[in-house]
This record gives sequence, C-alpha cells and structure tokens, in this order.
Amino acid sequence: MRSKIITSLALAAGICATSFAFAGHHGHKSAVVPTITQTAVLTGLENPWDTDLLADGTMFFTEKCKGVSVRTTDGKVHKILGMKGSSGYASTNDDLHCTNQAGMLGLAVDPNFAKNQRIYVASASTKYHGSGCKTNFERCDGNIVMRLTLSKDLKSVKDRTDIVKDIQFKPFESNHPFGGNGAHNGNRPTFDSEGWLWVTTGDRHRGVCPQSPELLCGKVLRIDTDGNAHPGNNPPKGFDKRIYTYGHRNVQGIAFRADGAVFTAEHGPWHNDELTMLENGKNGGWDPRQNVGGRGDCPDEYCGYMPNQKEGVIPAIRAAYMPMSDTRFADLMTPAWQNNGYSQGTSSIAFLTGSQWGMYEGRAVVGIMGIAFGGTPPGMRLDVYDIAQDGKSIKSVIHLPVESKRYRGVTMGPDGALYANTDEGEIYKITAK
Amino acid sequence: MKFIVSSLMFLASVHCGTLFAGDVAAGEKRYGQNCFVCHGPGGKGMSSYPKLAGKEVAYLTERLQTYRAGTKIGPNSDLMIINAQPLSDDEIANLAAYLSSLK
Repeated sequence: MRSKIITSLALAAGICATSFAFAGHHGHKSAVVPTITQTAVLTGLENPWDTDLLADGTMFFTEKCKGVSVRTTDGKVHKILGMKGSSGYASTNDDLHCTNQAGMLGLAVDPNFAKNQRIYVASASTKYHGSGCKTNFERCDGNIVMRLTLSKDLKSVKDRTDIVKDIQFKPFESNHPFGGNGAHNGNRPTFDSEGWLWVTTGDRHRGVCPQSPELLCGKVLRIDTDGNAHPGNNPPKGFDKRIYTYGHRNVQGIAFRADGAVFTAEHGPWHNDELTMLENGKNGGWDPRQNVGGRGDCPDEYCGYMPNQKEGVIPAIRAAYMPMSDTRFADLMTPAWQNNGYSQGTSSIAFLTGSQWGMYEGRAVVGIMGIAFGGTPPGMRLDVYDIAQDGKSIKSVIHLPVESKRYRGVTMGPDGALYANTDEGEIYKITAK
Repeated sequence: MKFIVSSLMFLASVHCGTLFAGDVAAGEKRYGQNCFVCHGPGGKGMSSYPKLAGKEVAYLTERLQTYRAGTKIGPNSDLMIINAQPLSDDEIANLAAYLSSLK
C-alpha cells in the first residue's frame, strides 16, 4: 500500500531526523551497495500493467486486455473484474475494453482499505463516449477511473463508482508512428501520504490536449476518492480545478519522495524521456499543436513526432523542433533528468525505501522499456536515479542488476521489496540486503 | 542443352526450397538482434506489438516483404518498414521459419 509506506517513513523521519537516511538529500548516507535478488512471483500473465499491495502482502494487479485480479497471501489468484470478452472473472463489464496502448492500466489501493475495501482502477471505457467520438478531433471521453468496493473475501466487486469519467481517448487510427487508436493514456493512479489520489493522463495524439484548460488529456490530476478537486490545486485561471499540472505527453509514472515531493516519469516521443518534480499549477511544456512554436501544419493536427516523422532523425533536431519541455512557457517545470536526448521509453517510477537498499535508499527506480528505434540503444532495464534535493538535476544514475525485461510498472511493497511487472508477462519481487 | 536446362531447374529448385524452408536457428538469431524488443521473447507479443509465434510461414513472409517494400499495413507500419527494409530474402525466410515453429 503505497501511501502507508510513505506515511510510516515520514513519521520515522520526524522522530529520528538525524539517523534516518534519506539517501541522496539529507541525513546519513549509506555507502553499502546492496545485494539484489530477483524472484518471479507470477508468470504467464498477459501484459500486466500495474500492481499494488496491502500490508499483509495481498497483491492486486491488472492485465491490460483482461481485467483486475488479486493474489491472496496463500498464493492463489482470484480474477475480480474483467473487461468485455474476458473470461474467468467474477464479473465482467462490457464498457471496459482494450485496443493497442489502451485498456485496463493503473490501479491503486485505498489507504483506508482495511475499513472500506476499496481499490481504484483506470481503464478505457465506452460508457461516457456520448456523441463525442465520431472523429479524432472531438473530445471523446473514453478513459475513466473506477472506485471498486470489493467483497470481504476479495474475490468480487460489490460496487463500482466511476469517479473520473471525462479523460479523453483516441478513437481512430491517425497518420502517425504508433498511430493506432487508444494512444497515450497515462493512467497511473497513485495515492499520496495524505490520502489524495493522483491521476496521470496522456495527450491521446491530439495537439490541443496538453495546453487545453478544459480537457483532461495531457494532465496530472489531484482529487479525492469521490473525484473532486483538491482545494489546494492551483492551475491557471479557467482551468479545470482537478488539474495539478498540465502540458504533459504521456505520464505513465508518478511517485512521492519521502519528503512529499512528487515526481513523474514521462515517455518522450523519439527524444527526451523526462523525470520531473511537479510544481502545483505549472506546465510540463509539451505543446504538440500545429502552427505554434515555429511549426507549420502537421499530420492530423498533431506535431508530436515531427519533423520528418516517418524516418530516423537526429534526436536533437527533433527536440529543437518539437520540445518535450518548451522554454516558450514562463511557467515551465524544468525536468530533473532527460535521457541524453534519447527516448528509451520511461514507464513507471518508485522511490526505494528502507535501509536494506543501502546506498540506493531514497533514490528513484524507473522502468526503461526502449524499442531501439532509429539507432537509439534499447532500454529493457531498471535504472536508479539519485535526484538532487531541489528536483532540478540528478547526481547519478546506475542500472539495477536485474534481468533485461520490459519493465512496465514498479511499486514499493510493504515488505521493503520492489515489485516490478513486465510486458513479457511476469511480476517480480526484487529484494535488497 | 537438355543437361544445362535440367541443371538450372535443379539448382533453382534447391535454391527456392532453401528460401521457403528457411533456417529456424538462423531465424532465431536474427530475431534476437532487435525484433524481440517489441514482439517479446519467443514472438509472444507485448504491449501493442502483436504476437507472431505460430503464424503461418506464408503470412509472415508476405508481411515482411510488404513492409520491406515500404507499404503500410496497420498503425505501427512506420516502425516495421524501417526494420524490414534491410532484410534479405534469406533473412525473411529464416524469420518466418523460426516464428512459425513457435507456439
């Protein structure tokens, strides 16, 4: 349970501020390089996308084109809620569906799960399409966040309430690389230590999304468990009050440092993956509209892969033409890290907590999925970043010694282990000592 | 003359036989160079990249030849066109043989 771990760490830091090691920013810093062990917890899954755990080790996970399941402490897996066409689940909902990058993606366990048995799941859904999905140039509300109340035995859903119904979805194929429908959904809901739910979204290949004040695509939201805006959100005047930050491309990772600072991991186009410390109400600087920022017309009014989107181009040239963090914006959040100009597919982020992680304690672990396009070196790894306290740079990055896999999701477990799910179909437990 | 013609036909049949049969081991080696990064180990498919394991040789061959020719089929064609363009006939045959041999 992500939030409980963070709360406990914050408490520990308050009690023994001089002895607790927030590696990389203050307090004592271990010089021990931990021994890393990787063990498969589940294999043979189909595109597991996210995991979250209860304090006793009960593990919830999603499979993108199937549904949400739970692995109870006896090792048994129960299929809770499936999407249209899936089988073996206690129930299925026909509005839930998958296509290309979209499907049942992120999940988060309620910090008060012991009392309310609630989990939150982000998915593609046809329920709120209305008449707004006839072309790619309409809003098309097709991504949602569901609040699911589970039965006592955790095997089924007692109640489903959709707390966010208006995250945009790409309904049709377009003239872009990776141009299938369902592109760029974000969808990594995560709780902070105070019990607020953070929801990440993507630009769904629509140029106007990230800088739009009304559309939720290309944003990070901070809401309560009913879907209402946090009263402290401070987006620009006229923006939807649920918005914490805007100007994002496809935020598949979000995590909280022990001091409460929130960081996103963002997947670049063919350049510049980024890690960014978020600032309330500010701009990630992604603006793929045509005819702005010195650009002309772009295919299907989306410049996200330009220039010369069909062929390999030196990343620096792309970055100059279509920047991930455009310095035109006065309210730009400068990233802590960008990937030496490359995009290798950053996915999820978690902060390593507990002294067992030695010198890596407090550092950020990030999944790098990279497909090695156009001369870019492949990813297929977990990297560990020592991010500077001010969130404006990193001090170092190393490769975690784990198997080469396409790590889609990383989650700190209550036992101090890191849980990592891969597109290949595994969920691993990664321990340090 | 008859000897020359029959020899040529024999050579052609051997060559074509090799082309269509493909070399599974060579295909596996070529797949391991970069194809696996998207399509996953053993061609099982990952994320939005489709499963290739167990597909018919004719289907795989035709797809790779079509991509190599620069023709779009589906939303990730741009990626496949770039990756297929350097492939030789033998590499396509080997990849098709390897992938079709998988479950």
